[in-house]
Amino acid sequence: MSAFSDALSVTSSGLRAQAMRLRVVSENIANVDTPGYHRKTIPFETARSGEGSLQDLRVGDVSLDQSDLEDVYDPGHPLADDTGHYAGSNVDLMIELADAREAQRSYEANLKMFDQTRQMSSNLMDLLRR
Amino acid sequence: MFQNLDVFRTAIAMARHAGEQQAISAQNIANADTPKYRALQMPDFARTLEGGADGMRSTRPQHLGAGAGPEGYRFSERRGAEDPNGNTVELESEMVVAVDAKRAHDRALAIYRSNINILRASLGR
Repeated sequence: MSAFSDALSVTSSGLRAQAMRLRVVSENIANVDTPGYHRKTIPFETARSGEGSLQDLRVGDVSLDQSDLEDVYDPGHPLADDTGHYAGSNVDLMIELADAREAQRSYEANLKMFDQTRQMSSNLMDLLRR
Repeated sequence: MFQNLDVFRTAIAMARHAGEQQAISAQNIANADTPKYRALQMPDFARTLEGGADGMRSTRPQHLGAGAGPEGYRFSERRGAEDPNGNTVELESEMVVAVDAKRAHDRALAIYRSNINILRASLGR
């Protein structure tokens, strides 16, 4: 029985982490046109929780991608300098979309595992019924 | 004949093994995107039945046996293709393993239930 509760908790930690990742990705996508915006990234790491032997998935601290900002040419922009350029964001839409798709796929896999574990556990409980 | 109900003991061991397998699959799937995570696997049920999957068998949690699960199963790293970030989980094969675990669990419970019914019938209840 404890194996099932361990499995449910590790699966829910996966669901939580993937949802957090989707949140960060959507923040990045929403700010793709914000001047000076650095894209956010969150690291995934394993963490042993309590006395159980399973390794939960945990997200670390949000950090900013320090790669160069895109140099946009737009002389009419209020932020443009003498040469007519201003610093845009360093969000690459393709990377963000691929990340979102991967997060969705993993989320669905975790959801399926959650459902299956719950079914196994309730089948076990059905044994008590006559 | 019913002094020693081996069929029940085997069914329980099978259900417990399937539960552990489900838990380890859940861990692998939850960590499918974690950098440097190594996919874990369990010995087959048949091998654990033969007694001592990997030589020694721990009968108490205090015994030596690093890496052994709560039931004394010994997890090992699954060999397979490695992602660029050092992760070795294959989501597809992991789903197959998990579904196998569910089927084994259902089978074990069905065996248990049918034997309970036989016992009940023989008692005339």
